[in-house]
Amino acid sequence: MRGNIIKYPRDNIDTDVIIPGQYLKVHDYAELATHAMEGLDPDFHSKVKEGDFILSGKNFGCGSSREHAPIALSHCGVKAILALSFARIFYRNSVDGAFLLPIEIDQDAYDGISEGDEIDIDISKNEIKNITKNQTYKMKPFSEIIGKIIAAGGLFKYKPDQD
Amino acid sequence: MGKTLFEKIWESHIVVEKQNEPDLIYIDRHLVHEVTSPQAFDGLRMNNRKVRRPDLTIATMDHNVPTTDRSLPMLDETSSIQIKTLENNCKDFGIKLFDISSPNQGIVHVIGPQLGITLPGSTIVCGDSHTSTHGAFGALALGIGTSEVEHVLASQTLWLEKPKTFEVRVEGKRKNPHAVTAKDIILSIIKNIGTAGGTGTVIEYRGEGISDLSMDQRMTICNMSIEGGARAGLIAPDEKTFDYLRNREYTPKNYESLVDSWRDELKTDSDATFDKQFILDINDITPQVSWGTNPGMTCDVDEPIPSPDEFSNGDPNQKKGAEKALEYMDLKPGTMIEDIKIDRVFIGSCTNARLEDLIEASKIIQGQKVASTVSAMVVPGSQMVKKQAEEMGLDKIFTDANFEWREAGCSMCLGMNPDILSPGERCASTSNRNFEGRQGNGGRTHLVSPVMAAAAAINGHFVDVRKLDLN
Repeated sequence: MRGNIIKYPRDNIDTDVIIPGQYLKVHDYAELATHAMEGLDPDFHSKVKEGDFILSGKNFGCGSSREHAPIALSHCGVKAILALSFARIFYRNSVDGAFLLPIEIDQDAYDGISEGDEIDIDISKNEIKNITKNQTYKMKPFSEIIGKIIAAGGLFKYKPDQD
Repeated sequence: MGKTLFEKIWESHIVVEKQNEPDLIYIDRHLVHEVTSPQAFDGLRMNNRKVRRPDLTIATMDHNVPTTDRSLPMLDETSSIQIKTLENNCKDFGIKLFDISSPNQGIVHVIGPQLGITLPGSTIVCGDSHTSTHGAFGALALGIGTSEVEHVLASQTLWLEKPKTFEVRVEGKRKNPHAVTAKDIILSIIKNIGTAGGTGTVIEYRGEGISDLSMDQRMTICNMSIEGGARAGLIAPDEKTFDYLRNREYTPKNYESLVDSWRDELKTDSDATFDKQFILDINDITPQVSWGTNPGMTCDVDEPIPSPDEFSNGDPNQKKGAEKALEYMDLKPGTMIEDIKIDRVFIGSCTNARLEDLIEASKIIQGQKVASTVSAMVVPGSQMVKKQAEEMGLDKIFTDANFEWREAGCSMCLGMNPDILSPGERCASTSNRNFEGRQGNGGRTHLVSPVMAAAAAINGHFVDVRKLDLN
């Protein structure tokens, strides 16, 4: 999976800035997407392209349980969030609906990857390659459970292993 | 080895358990509201599924309902559609709904306990992060997203990874329990453990500082567990818990025999161990006021606002976060909290809009007037709280002081209905999140207790309520 980085070098990006409460009444995902990150970065929509990744610090997606947050980002074309850590409800929402991949990175990746870098994520090897800078970083592997939900294509397609 | 309360509840709800798989957990109660449910019901229809246990599912509308006169038509068409959609979904799928005209309508986390729907030892989910509130009754209560809402509607179960356990022990006694409240305890905890301190854990709050609290106060504590990053917060039930739930509208008929078994079973064994621990001594804690844009950015009422360097302890992201927060809040390091002037006061939300919160706030207001520079409102957590407060004459105390007295709902906590801040307005709020734009685009939120909010309304700026006579 290849894409370019939009970097927000801060912690605690919350669901209220990802998609402000006033838009939780919007059912049309394309319209919802037009308000993504409105509370944080007015230039987001001029930057974001299909296939991009967002990189950020600790506790990404903290706050509300609104699934509108990963939905709005995924309908902007964002395929993955790379962050030092995630709030748990956002993390589960991202994989349950197969909206985007929440990828936990280490400090090396966080420091090494810059805005605009082209990145290749290989979840089978738990590896992140920075094409622009010719560097490679490790990603934290998904837990077995989350890996299976992702492989299945979401919560409703997941079936536990049969005996 | 002994087990924690969390482990006991978890293990008694496992439907399927396999190595290296999530546990399939049975859900005893599912609370539904208008904002996170429409797509879940659409999913059921698309797949020709029914609601598996409509009898264990209860709905109300709270997030976007108007808090003004409800005999008038709703002006916001999209909110109106969302409310209609919930009505239709509940009708189609046979779910009990407390609609906008019901005397039981209110914030879902306020009505659950009031109606006796929230029970000790049970598992409760809701498509809302503040579901953790119900943990005050010794229930394992989890906030979930819309996909999981659909999964629970369809199967009454959820695939969950077992969280770790986190003991937060609150020791000591508050010197002035009317001035230093449960809100100040939980804000102190979050200030110390950080907004991600509880990530991946279920917190059990223990100790004298917790058992001393009333049920309304315990709900305030558990409510904000999510602001410390935890999946849920729990307090072992005791006689206060059992008394609270006795003779409520939905209290089970065999309640006394349930209480007998809860008394024996629902506690952490003396030899159980937790994965993590934090201890807070509350002998000397003060009222808390948040100064930044997450609940961890909080300080004592008699402290100056910290500089980004002091706040960050050398962490560059924390420093940058504090700088951005101060810029957004239009505050300078070194400013004393009591010198901060406010424009609005909001007493409401699932954190602090229960009867006791309103009683405590009214003691400050009685015989006084809101400062001419401030506009203030009270939004009771439920219509039942509103009615009880009115029977005590609290509405009169508030309105005489020039507070607005509204109908129940989430209101200005999250800015989904017309109750919002204007850009730049500064609000003393009893809610749970001070995120940028949470209460309205450009609005500035300071999280405080109901008594601190009430005192700020009267004075036009924050005051240390320990200086007031509150007894």
